Order: sequence, then structure tokens, then C-alpha cells
Amino acid sequence: MAMVAVPATADNLPVVPAAGVAPVVLPTGAPVPGPPGRPRRGTGTIGTLLFCAADFMVLAAIVATYLSIKSGSAAWPPKGVHVGTYIPTIVSITVAMSGFAMQWAVFAARRNDGRNAAVALGLTIFLGVAVLNLEWLAFVRAGFGFKAHTYATLFYLLIGYHVFHLLVAMAVVLVMALRTLAGHFTTDRHDPLRAAAVFWQYTNLVWFVSATALFILSRHG
Amino acid sequence: MAMTDTEVEEAAPPAPVDAPPASPVLPEAWPRGTDHKFIGSLFVILSLLFLVAGVVLSLVMRAQLTTADASVVGERTYRQLFTMHGTMSVFLFLLPVWLGLGSAVVPLQIGASRMAFPRLHAMALWVFLAGGAMVVGAPMASDVFHGWALGDPIPEKLGLPGRGPDLLLLGLSLVCLAAVLVMINLVVTIVQLRAPGLTLRRIPMFSWSMLVSGAVLILALPVLMGAFGMLFVDRHYGASLFSGFTGSRGGNPLLWPRLFWFGAYPMLWALLIPALGAVSDILATFAGRRLASRERAMAAIGAVGVLSFAGWGSEVTNLVSARALFVVGALVVLVPVASLILNWLLTLRAGLRGPNAVDAGKESTDRDALRRRFGATPMLWALGFLPVLALGLAGSVVSALDATRSAHTNYWQVAQQHGLFFGAATIGAVAALSFWGPKLWGYRLSDALGKLELLALVGGTLLTVLGMFVLGIQDFARHSATFSSSDNVGPANLVVSVGAAIVGLGLLVLLLDLVASQVGGRGARAGADPWGGQSLEWATTSPPPLHNFDALPEIRSDTPLLDLRIGRPGTAAAAPGPDTDLVNESPAS
Repeated sequence: MAMVAVPATADNLPVVPAAGVAPVVLPTGAPVPGPPGRPRRGTGTIGTLLFCAADFMVLAAIVATYLSIKSGSAAWPPKGVHVGTYIPTIVSITVAMSGFAMQWAVFAARRNDGRNAAVALGLTIFLGVAVLNLEWLAFVRAGFGFKAHTYATLFYLLIGYHVFHLLVAMAVVLVMALRTLAGHFTTDRHDPLRAAAVFWQYTNLVWFVSATALFILSRHG
Repeated sequence: MAMTDTEVEEAAPPAPVDAPPASPVLPEAWPRGTDHKFIGSLFVILSLLFLVAGVVLSLVMRAQLTTADASVVGERTYRQLFTMHGTMSVFLFLLPVWLGLGSAVVPLQIGASRMAFPRLHAMALWVFLAGGAMVVGAPMASDVFHGWALGDPIPEKLGLPGRGPDLLLLGLSLVCLAAVLVMINLVVTIVQLRAPGLTLRRIPMFSWSMLVSGAVLILALPVLMGAFGMLFVDRHYGASLFSGFTGSRGGNPLLWPRLFWFGAYPMLWALLIPALGAVSDILATFAGRRLASRERAMAAIGAVGVLSFAGWGSEVTNLVSARALFVVGALVVLVPVASLILNWLLTLRAGLRGPNAVDAGKESTDRDALRRRFGATPMLWALGFLPVLALGLAGSVVSALDATRSAHTNYWQVAQQHGLFFGAATIGAVAALSFWGPKLWGYRLSDALGKLELLALVGGTLLTVLGMFVLGIQDFARHSATFSSSDNVGPANLVVSVGAAIVGLGLLVLLLDLVASQVGGRGARAGADPWGGQSLEWATTSPPPLHNFDALPEIRSDTPLLDLRIGRPGTAAAAPGPDTDLVNESPAS
């Protein structure tokens, strides 16, 4: 943004010079026309990134609670609880695929390829539905209720946190798919799609962090 | 995402210089609904209402504690009073007053015409309003008596039924959400919407402090939201994350204060940081100087933001491990604040001795001019901020070093928090109001009443905080609802009560002054640049038009208006005085 050449002394001038001995004479000239009326490109993406950073701190609070309670427990997860590795593995693979599908949509939009972008967004939503389906299966097969023990509570909280984000992200991607079909995005103008992609990938991060806590860090030693 | 809907469609056509452009954002029918100055002002008004409520609650508490064995209110009512007083003062006054001032002033300071996400800004106001209503409604639903940290005792499910705490938790979550949304908006605005030539290193100190404060709040408040959410789950859905102890299939009650203070400790600092920025701007303006070292001031404020995350454990009384680390953390954050104070003192000294910009390069030998600058009401507020800040810092050093931890359970903690975060931050906010209020609303506040308010608020705060420190030394427990005449704490309690009453009176005068000058239009017209300002907000009318600026001056340094005033040859001798309208003059020449 630094469009105006700056005299070397202007920035480090410690005091305002006295009259007559001013070392810098800044021409005022004609004023530049008013300030920028609309944000520059990438504004939505930066906003979404900041939102994800804030959102991640909520997740961090839950994960910190999980790790703290785990470190004080004799048995973790409690005896008789077997969460298995099958569902989380399949979910992880599906989540990773959805991440690639989302980026495919962004690349396609960048190449002005609306058809591929729409297909990729459709695939992303489909994979999201698959993940929801699997997570529902995980809830059904868990074999414990929400308040059975603290592992159960955190299990439902962490996976539920991902489910909630996934629902929001799928709604956003659905809107993006409709806008793609309506021809809103071109090589130069697809910032909303990029912002949606940031949020989708963040949703995937929520899964990987939650899964790491619940399924990988779930044993002592 | 709501954030993506305000995307760039195309570059706005350059606005004609002489004709004000149409609103860039909204249809004509609803012109002010998403105007950042309007929403910011609403935040400020709401926060002042909550400040009155919080102070009234504190006066009832002080009535109870003025004399020994008093029975103005019962123990249970007293606990509700301090809970709501703390909650309102922090979450419903201090937080939104900076949200409001920041979002109203910062776009003006950086030469932007709007916020990055105007509709998100409007939404945040409604979220805040809903959250505030729920917080206020909480004690009406059922008793809320856990202290503002919700930790005395923790309202987990066992034995503490009732809807009040639930409502409080949900309301506070909404308030935090609103704050996060405003701060995201503000940070993106500062990053993306600065005027051409205004690099990030050149933004005014208040904008910089809001950027730092925003970054801290974006990371700290969600931790509180997560904690509130989990406590709500415990209470409402029968989980036991914070009840029982691990091993018995339960959770860990010791977790609550750790989670809470991990979020709340940086939050308190983030609510002081904008005061540091505002005072930096005000002191430099009336000293007629740039800050002695702008780079160091920016670094200091940034360092406060980063280091504010280091000391949270010092507020947790049951944390044994890593305590030394947190002592260092709580101390090291004070270093940049001290460096900033030194910076201010050097700036003031330069303003007293050398040439200055308000009088356009004249030496500061004219005593009347000197008195006009240093006796201006916003400057007096900024100067009054210094002793309160110093007292709070001194208290913080002691409570960080206190090995017995009693400084965290007796009145020393009350004194430290009231001095540093609530006292200093509030006086900084009032200084900002008296400095930027005329810009936002068009009228100056009364100078005569201003001195009275200053005397009452600063004097009353000093009296209150000093009395609380004495009570801390006497080891008076912080949540005591009464004391007996044999406890020897009577005189100090009386001093605190007198101080609180003086603060209450000063606040009353301040609010009447605000209403009379701004709503009643009794104040002097501010003009574009009432104070001889240095940054861009003074380059437009007061109040600014909907689009903020018709034209911007060329920006070649961090003080573009100073450059305008002193940089032009031939104008220094016939310099514009503090009340001259710079906007009308500058484009013509």
C-alpha cells in the first residue's frame, strides 16, 4: 500500500521541528480522492481465518480439559470402553478426501472452469454426508451414554463439535455450489469460494485434533 | 459464512472530491443501520448504562460494609451483589466500551470509510444486547452468587440448582461471541482498509492498541466460551467434567479456575491495552509532539499483548506446579507497561520545553499556550490516568511475588484488580470519550464540569483502591459480607466507602455532562480539529459524514495532520490555531 515515496527522515523524526528549520517539507498537493469504499481482495478470507483461530481456541479449551482429566485418571478410557479404530480411520480418510475435493473446486474456479468447480463442490458435500453418516454410526456403536463418565462426555462433545462445524460448512459449500452454477465465480473473483475452502479445511482440522485426542492419546503411557 | 458476503465485487469508482459520494454500503432507506460510528456509539451508550448499574450495586455493597456489623443486606444478597457487580463491570461495561470506542474511532483514524464487515458489526450489537439481557436476567431467575470468576463455589450441578447460573453462562457466552465478532471485524478493517500511504507502522497508537487488544481477545475469549459451554453441559445435561474427582468416574473441579483464568487473565490485560493506546495518542497530541519513541511504544503495547498470556496461573490459588513460572509471567508483563510510561514522560518533558505542533512550531515559552495545552480536559484525564495505573502496577508486583497466596484471597486482589484493570482502564476510557466524543458527536464536553469529574473519579478511585490495599494488608477476606468492630478494619472500610461514593457522584456528573453536551447540544461546537490532532480522524468534520471523508490528505508519515500543519512553507508563522478547521483550509492551498 505504500504508494507514496517516503523521505528517509520522516519516520524517525523524533520531535516536530521548529518553524523555519523544518528538514522535511511535505508537499500537500491535491488531496487524494476519498478512502477506499470497499475492502480489498481477500478480506473475507482473512476474516474467516481469524474466525477459525477464535473457534480453534474453543476446541483447545475442550481438548485441554480432556488431557487434564485423562492425566488424573487411573484408567483411560474407563474399563469396559472400547472405541475401536475402524470408524475413526475411515472418517479420517473421508475427511482427507473431502479436503482435496474442496481444493479441486478452488483450483477449478481459478481456471475459470465452472463445471469442474461445481462437480468438486458436489463431491465435497457428498463426502461430508458420508462423514456425518459415519459419525452417527460412531455415536450408535459407542455403547455408552453422554453422562456415563467423563470420557463419554468428552467423546460426544468433541465429535459433536465436529458434527456441528460440518453441518455449517456443508451449508456454506452448498451456497457456494449454487453460486458456482449461477456463474458468480471467475478467475479474478472467487474470494467467497476461497473463504469457504478455508472454513472447510478448518472443519477438517477440528476432526483431526479431536480424533487425535480421543483415539490416539486415549491410552496411558 | 456471513463474512464472505461483503466481498469485493469491483473497485469503487473514485469519488469526486467536491461532491460527497453516495453511501457505498447501503440503500438510502436505512442509512445508519450499519454505520460503524452509529453502532460504536450504541455500544458505548449500552456500556455506560451497565457501568451505572455496576456502580449502583457497588454502592449498596459499600453501604453494607461502611459500619461494623451492619445489616443493610443479608449474606446471600451480598454475594449476589458482588457477583453481578463484577460480571457487569467486566463483561458489560469494560468490554463493550472498548468495542464501541474502537469500532467508532479506528476506521476514522486509519482513513477508512467503513468497517470490513458492516452487517456483521450490526449483528454483533444485537448478539451483545441479547447476551447482556440474559446476564441481567440471571439473578431474577435464581440466585447467582459465585463471584464474577464463577469459582466461589463453582456452580457445578451438585447442590446448586436453579436457572440463574445457566442464564448467566449463556449470556456471557453471547457477550464473548459479540466481542470476538467485533474484534475480528476491527482487525480485518485495520489490515485491509487503511488509507493509501498509511502503512501498518504508521497507524495511530489507539488503532495499534485496538489491533493488539483484538488479537488477544480473539484468542482469549473463546477459551472462556468453551469453559462456559462445558460448565453449562455439566449443569444442564448431567455431565460431570467439573464435579467429583477423577478416579470416581468424575471430572476435576480444580480445572475450572485454570480454564477461566487462562481466558480471563489475558482478557483483563486486553481491556487495559486500549487505554494505553488512547492515553499515548492524547498525551502526544497535547504535548504537541510525536511520542518520544513511537517504535518502542508500539513494541511495548505489542509486548503487553503477547505477555498477557504468561501470567494466568498467578490467579489460580490451587496451582502448585509451575508457580514460579507464572510469577515471572505476571511480573514480566509489567516491564513493557513501565517502558511505555517512561516514553510518555519523555514526551511530556519535550512538550513542556521544546517547540510544539499545536502552536505550529513555536517554542513553549508562552505560559498561556502551555496552560491551554496541558490544561485541556482530555489531557487532564490522561494525566490522571497515570497515578491510578502506577498504583495498580505496584499492587500487581506485590501480588505476583506474594508467596503465601493470601494476596489472592483477601482485599489485596480486589485492590489490584480495581486499580489496574477497572480503575485505570475506566479512566482511560473516559479520557478517550472526552478526546474523541467531540469528534463522534460534534460537541465538546464541559471543561468546568470535566475538572470536577476528574477530581471525583480519579480522587475517588485512588481513595478506594488505597483503602482496599490497606484492607489487604489487614488480611480482610475478599468476599466478606460483614465485619465486626473488633476486627480493626473499620477505618479502611470507611475510606473505601467514601471513595466509592465520590466515584459514584463523579460518574453521575459525567453522564449528565455527556447528555447535556451531546444530546442537549449545550457543549461548544467541536469543529473538525478541536485539539490540534495529529492523525486522520481530525481531517474530517465533527461528526463525520456517513462515508467519513470527502477527501484525505496525502499521507507521508504517522502524523499526517502534523505534516499538514507545519510542513507547508509560509504557514508556520500564521499557523492555524487549535480551533481552525483544517479540512476546509488544506485542499485550497
